[in-house]
Amino acid sequence: MQGVVTGGWGFVIAAYSITGIALFGYAAWLIQKNRERR
Amino acid sequence: MDIAPPSTTKTPMILLALGFALLVIGSYLGLFVAPAEQYMGQVQRIMYVHVPTVWSWMLCVCFTFIAAVIFLFRNDLKWDARLEAGLEVGTLLCAMLCCQGAIWAKPTWGVWWDWDPRLTSVAVLLFAFLGIIALRQFVDDPPRRAVWSAVATIIASADLPIVYFSVKWWNSLHQTQSSPSTVSSAFHLPLRINAFGVFFVMVAFVMLRSRLATRKLREELV
Repeated sequence: MQGVVTGGWGFVIAAYSITGIALFGYAAWLIQKNRERR
Repeated sequence: MDIAPPSTTKTPMILLALGFALLVIGSYLGLFVAPAEQYMGQVQRIMYVHVPTVWSWMLCVCFTFIAAVIFLFRNDLKWDARLEAGLEVGTLLCAMLCCQGAIWAKPTWGVWWDWDPRLTSVAVLLFAFLGIIALRQFVDDPPRRAVWSAVATIIASADLPIVYFSVKWWNSLHQTQSSPSTVSSAFHLPLRINAFGVFFVMVAFVMLRSRLATRKLREELV
C-alpha cells in the first residue's frame, strides 16, 4: 500500500530504549547524590 | 539571605516509584496490546512515550517560569533552587523528546530533523535552557546568579506559547497537538497511563533535584 510505513520495530525499540536509559539513569544519579549529601 | 533546610526524600521517592510503575504498565499496553496505526504501522507506538514527554516538558517549563517570577517577587532562594531543578529536568525532557521525535520522523517524514516551526521553536528553548544552566556555572554570587537566571528564564519561557501554537500559526510539517480527543479510542489507555507516569517522574525529579540545589545553596551561604 502506498503511503503506509511498514516494519519499524527497530525505531520503536530505539525510542523506548533512549527514554528508559534517560529516565532510569537520571533517577539513579539523583538518588545517589541525595544519599551522598544526606 | 538564608534558605531553609530541605525536607526528606520520602514523597519524591514514592512519586518516582509510582511514575515508573505506571510507565511500565503504559508501555506494555502501548507496545503489545494497542493495535498498530493504519498508516504509520508499528512506528506510531512511539507516540506513547513522545506525547507524554512533551506534555510533562511543557508543564516543567511552566513551573520553571513560575519559580522565576516568584523568586523575583519574594527574593527567596528556595525558589532559585526550584528554578535550577526545573531548568535541568526541563532540559532532560526536551532532549528526550527531540530524540524520540527524530526517531519517529525518520521513517514517517524521511528525515531525522527538519527546520519546521515546531521543531525550530523547541530547539530554541532547549538551547536557551542550556545557556541558562551554563550561565549559572559562571556566577559565584548566589543572589546575583538567582536574579540573572530568573530574568533569563522568563525571557526564554516566552518561546513556550510559540512552541504550542506553531503547528496552528504556520504550515508545519509536524502534526497538530495530539490528545485523547484527536487520536483513536484504542490508543487512549496507554497514552493516559504513560502521561501520568512521565508526570509523576517529572515531579519527583524536580523535588529531588531542588533538594540537591538547596543543600548546595546552604553550603555556599555559610
